Formats: sequence, structure tokens, C-alpha cells
Amino acid sequence: MSDHKERLDQSLSALMDGEATDIELHRLLKEVSEGSELRDKWKRYHMVSSAIKGDAAIASIDYSAAIAAAIDEEPAHHQSALAVFAGSAGRFAIAASVALVAVFGVQQLNSPLDSIAPVSEFAGVEQVNEESSGPAIQFPSGFQPVVNARTVSAGGNNKSSQFVTPIIEVRQKTQRNYSEAQLRAYMNDVMAKHSNHATLNSNQGMLPFARLNEAEAAAKKE
Amino acid sequence: MVFSRLVKTIKVAALVAAVLLHGPLFAAPMESAHELMSKMAKASRELNYQGLFTYEYRGNLTSVKLTHGVQDGQIYERIQHMDGAKRDALRRTDNVGCLRTGDMLLRGSAYRINDQSYARLEDFYEFHIKRQGRIANRQVVMVHVLPKDKHRYGYVVAIDKESGLLLQSVLMSHTGKPLERFQFVDITIGGSMLELGFDPEASDFADVALDQSNCIDDNRQIITSASNWNTQWLPPGFVMASHRIADKDGQESMMFTDGLAVFSVFIDIDKGRSLPAIDANLGATMAVLTKADINNQEYAICVVGEIPRATANQIASAISLSPSLSPSPSPSKSSSP
Repeated sequence: MSDHKERLDQSLSALMDGEATDIELHRLLKEVSEGSELRDKWKRYHMVSSAIKGDAAIASIDYSAAIAAAIDEEPAHHQSALAVFAGSAGRFAIAASVALVAVFGVQQLNSPLDSIAPVSEFAGVEQVNEESSGPAIQFPSGFQPVVNARTVSAGGNNKSSQFVTPIIEVRQKTQRNYSEAQLRAYMNDVMAKHSNHATLNSNQGMLPFARLNEAEAAAKKE
Repeated sequence: MVFSRLVKTIKVAALVAAVLLHGPLFAAPMESAHELMSKMAKASRELNYQGLFTYEYRGNLTSVKLTHGVQDGQIYERIQHMDGAKRDALRRTDNVGCLRTGDMLLRGSAYRINDQSYARLEDFYEFHIKRQGRIANRQVVMVHVLPKDKHRYGYVVAIDKESGLLLQSVLMSHTGKPLERFQFVDITIGGSMLELGFDPEASDFADVALDQSNCIDDNRQIITSASNWNTQWLPPGFVMASHRIADKDGQESMMFTDGLAVFSVFIDIDKGRSLPAIDANLGATMAVLTKADINNQEYAICVVGEIPRATANQIASAISLSPSLSPSPSPSKSSSP
């Protein structure tokens, strides 16, 4: 048995089990339309299957020719003049709406901030997306980005608790002995200093000071 | 065929109307958006006001009561956290007229980085005035601030029409997702120091020490002390806004801004051994901690700011000790300019 035939048989079995892929189905249909060998096999498989299941009547009559003939005799649907008109109008409407979508699309591209997600979709910093979707970052010569990062959480991440605790999310780059408390103290310190600086230079007045609260809160959870 | 002609005419008209109604892409004149932003910075510094605002990120929400008053050229601020552990902060800042790097950049006047290059905010952000709105029961103008590159985030800000105060600020990622939001829920503008509850004579104000030194002088150059450290790479548009030489703990810090975004760089001489190299973020604030081993000294270099992770990483990896100055193994020596 050739490779091709073997594959077809496998596809046929798969189809029997309802597990054939689109490509397999396509190949089978093509083969069936060209020769009767596979059709016979298909019939045999079904007869065996029926016998195993204990179906009383084993179908040995081939309805396929009669069905095909019946389909051929069926009068073709013909379209009314109105339908033809409506069809062309529909196409025009689609074209118009495509134009409209294009206008919308440009607007959207122009201003991605137009759609502000609701509060529930508040996301953290999108770590993965930002790094993969942006243009290739040119690192100064001699520097390599650290790729082998894993995500660990250094904060309370108990979502079931009544209050959501502020989390400092940490990606660790190196395995090293260090004190977590020390790291946390350092992180809180620099974040607090940064927020304090930012109130003076970000032009947002005292607002960045609220971030300080978060850093302090995280520290106090210890 | 009259009918079909009519239909065709209607269709064409509809198409034209759809395009026209949607309009030429509306971009407000740069001046007015920019003016609004400048007015905002000035207002939040010079006005008396008291209000409640919320700060939220990733489902965390805190509320803060802010009181801001100006008297005799000094800024008095009280920050009261309304939830969680009870915390109040009182600050007094000298010199209300002090212009900082951020102010200069926002005001749109070219800021001189050096003789060749100028930093201008509109080179790095687009400003679009959007619809009117209402926040904290006041009429506001929404301004969308879009970054022109991947090194900074965008903002949606709401500016009070009457006073110019910033009533809402949402930090937006490049994909248009909000990262954090400040929003006033109630604000009263005006009022005397007494009405605001300030007692300028009170001794419990924490004076902000770093202020005077970082005001911009007449040459539009900030007064900074020399640093041993070089930033080999900065995102375009960012300039140094302040610099502090190593304190008693051996920590040196620099701060950079493009007029809206701010990041700080901390360099610790003695923490290198005890800290791991990590990336961390708290809300929208990113911290990248790297280490540098120079002349048997392990330095911890930390970049903290509301900037994308990749940018923070890139800045951190490009910080190096000035080759012109011979690095000294002694902490006290290397920290002096």
C-alpha cells in the first residue's frame, strides 16, 4: 500500500470518528469524487460499524446516485429584479460604511487615548506587551538586555482579602543571597524619594505625593 | 429609473455627510493646548485650594485630602490620607516663584540642554484638546497628551476651565490602557490661610530642603553640582532637573524630566553587595535596580520613574562612572565632585 493510500485510510478512519481535519476532509472528498475505491471502503466501514453496534438493518443500498440526480433536477433559484437592485445597493452601502470605518480608523490611530477603559480594566504596567510591541530598542554598544527574568511577587497578593494590598512586583534577574526586608526597605525608600521629587517637577502639583502613600503602606504591611 | 437615481443621490449624500460630519481630524491649535498646560502648572502652585482626590491603580484606591496655600512667597501644603493608617504630612516650600526644569519645559520655551541642542516638549508629545467635561462638579477641558515615541507614557488630563487647576490625570500606556489615575472628587478654590487651617507659625512643617538649589537661573541652566556619574543614554527630551551629591549613606541621586514624565536615578555605593539586580514596579512606577562593579566597589544603580520598563532598563544599563575622574575606592572621596 502506498503512502498516499495509507494516509487516506487514516483520514477516513478519522472522519468516521468525527476527528478529521478540514484538510483531511478536503482530500477525502477530492479522492471520492475521482474513484470508487474509497467510496466502497467508506461504505464497508459503515457496514462494519453498524454490525458492531448491532443495528438491525445493514444498509446495502447506495442512495448517493439517486440523491445526486434529485439535486440536479431541482429548479435553480432565480433572483428577482428587485433583489438584484437591493444587492447592488447593499454593496454600495458596504462600500460607504467601509469608507466611514476608514475615517474612524484613522481617527482611532491618531488618538489611541480616545477609548479609556473602565476602572475595572485598570492594568498594571504591561510588561510583556511593551517590550514586544515597541520598535527594536537600540542598546548602547557593550550592553545587553537581561532576558532571563522571572516574575516573583514580593508583596501580599491575597485577592480574596477584603482590602487589596499594594503590591511591589519584582522581577528578579539574578539568584543571589539577599534579605528581602532589606530590598523592600530600599525599594520603598527610593520610590518615596522619587515621588517626593516628582511633586516638584512633574507639573502635577502634589498629586504624585499620593504614590508615596502607597510605598509607605507597602512598607507598613511588613 | 428615477427611483434608482434618487437612491443613488441619497447614498452619495450620505457618504459625503458621513465624512464631513466626522470632520477633518480635529487637532486643536498647539498654542491653546499648550497654554492650558502651562496655566495648569502655574495654578497648582500659586492658588489656594483644598480638595479631596483619589489615586487608583490596578484596583487599589486611596483617597487623599490636599490643602494648598501660598503666603509671603512660601507654599504650604497639607496631605492627609483619608484611609488606611492615619498619616498626615505638612510641607513648606520656599520660593513660590522658583522655576524648575519641568516648568520651563512645559511653558514651551526652548530649554537649553547645551549649546547645540534644545529640548521642547512639543517635540515629544502631541497635545489635543478634546471634549468638555465635568469633574468634581466643575467644568473642565480634557486634554489628551500623546507621546511621540515609546520612551514615555501618555496622559489624559482634565483642567478646570475657570482656575486652570489640574483635576484629573490619567497615565496611559502605549496601548491606551490606564495605568494610574488621580482625580479630584471635590475641590474648593480660594480661601484664606486661616480658612484653609494653616498656621504659618506652626513648627511642625517639614521644610523641603532641595528646593532653592534646583531653581533655574537666568541662563536657563539648572544649578547642579558635578557628578562622577555619566548617563550615556537618556530618552530624547529628558534633561536633568536636580542632582544631589552623595548623602551620609553614600547615596547619590539625580532627577530627570521631559516636562511631564519624571524619573530619578539613585546610586548607592555600599548597597551593591546586599541587593539583587531586579525590576520592580509599584503601580505605574517602575524601578530597575542594576549593579556595577568598578574597581572592586559594587554600586547599586536604581532608576525609578513613571516610564516604560524597557526605557528604564536602557537608562540603567547606560550609567557609568566618569572616565575622566579616577574612581576612588573610598566612599567619601568618590561622592564629592
